[in-house]
Amino acid sequence: MDIQAFIKGLEAEIEDLPPGTLKPDTDYRKVAQWSSMHALIVIAYVDANFNVTLSGPDLRGTNTISDLYNLVQAKLKNV
Amino acid sequence: MYGNSGTGLSKFSLHNQKILITGASSGIGRSCAVEASAQGAHCILVARNKAELEKTASLCKTKADIHVADLTKEEEIKKLAATVPQLNGMVNCAGIISPRPINFLKKKNLEEVFTINYFAAALLSGELLAAKKMEPGASFVFISSISSQHPYFGAAAYASSKAALESFSKTLALEIAPKKMRSNILLPGMVRTRMLEETKEAVGEENFKHYEKNYPLGFGEVEDVANAVCFLLSNESRWITGSELKMDGGLMLSGIK
Repeated sequence: MDIQAFIKGLEAEIEDLPPGTLKPDTDYRKVAQWSSMHALIVIAYVDANFNVTLSGPDLRGTNTISDLYNLVQAKLKNV
Repeated sequence: MYGNSGTGLSKFSLHNQKILITGASSGIGRSCAVEASAQGAHCILVARNKAELEKTASLCKTKADIHVADLTKEEEIKKLAATVPQLNGMVNCAGIISPRPINFLKKKNLEEVFTINYFAAALLSGELLAAKKMEPGASFVFISSISSQHPYFGAAAYASSKAALESFSKTLALEIAPKKMRSNILLPGMVRTRMLEETKEAVGEENFKHYEKNYPLGFGEVEDVANAVCFLLSNESRWITGSELKMDGGLMLSGIK
């Protein structure tokens, strides 16, 4: 899955986010209305689609959507 | 900070009481062991992580035994029940949260949470009774969560498993009352543990501060829960059974905003 598909899938799960809101360089925590609920959706989305478990410390090390995507890719390589 | 002995206040005596504590490798379970030992209890510490159990034992004021066991496995529960000494009390702290929105919830997620939060506690209680390891007057204490009655986003599996545990505790209370045994359950709100720190890292500092504003007395400390556990284990609470004790720093007074 490339980053565009990753973003499209994530936006589909976060229903209150207008499509096109997220870009690779978006600092996702600064998206309007971003809350703990969205962090949970990100964790569940990654688990469901990549079978990768993200922890709190994992998320803390990311800022942008690209960071998230790269983290997932790195974890997939380490499986 | 564990242990509050040295305050000069006398609490509820657990002198020479043998108390089994699950989830004793961290958080609330570890604090229960430390506080119970400060009241004279002989603790039997149960968890999967031997090194962390040894750390808990080193923090205890009295001798503590360690039993490494994986309570997700029924045979290990049976083995544990067969090998522990006669007990005066049991504290069920083992648990996981694993938050997940319902549209992502699969059977394996529900099983994972229920296996440790509900099945392990229920099966171990049953095995200990069947093996006649609970002394007359023994006290069971379970740790639930305020989220069983006031859930939050993503808590479906966790909150449901805790609600099931509350019903279990009350049924147990009814069945063991003829032997003067008791069962009670605590429903803590947010307590400062490693799990809470991880949540903070996941959701971000600002969201976290917003949560704490809902608590008139702020988040709890593990000792706050452990002190209530010690009371419910002690003979001073001998007329209390089947109860659910909310401990939420006033969260429910004004509701979650």
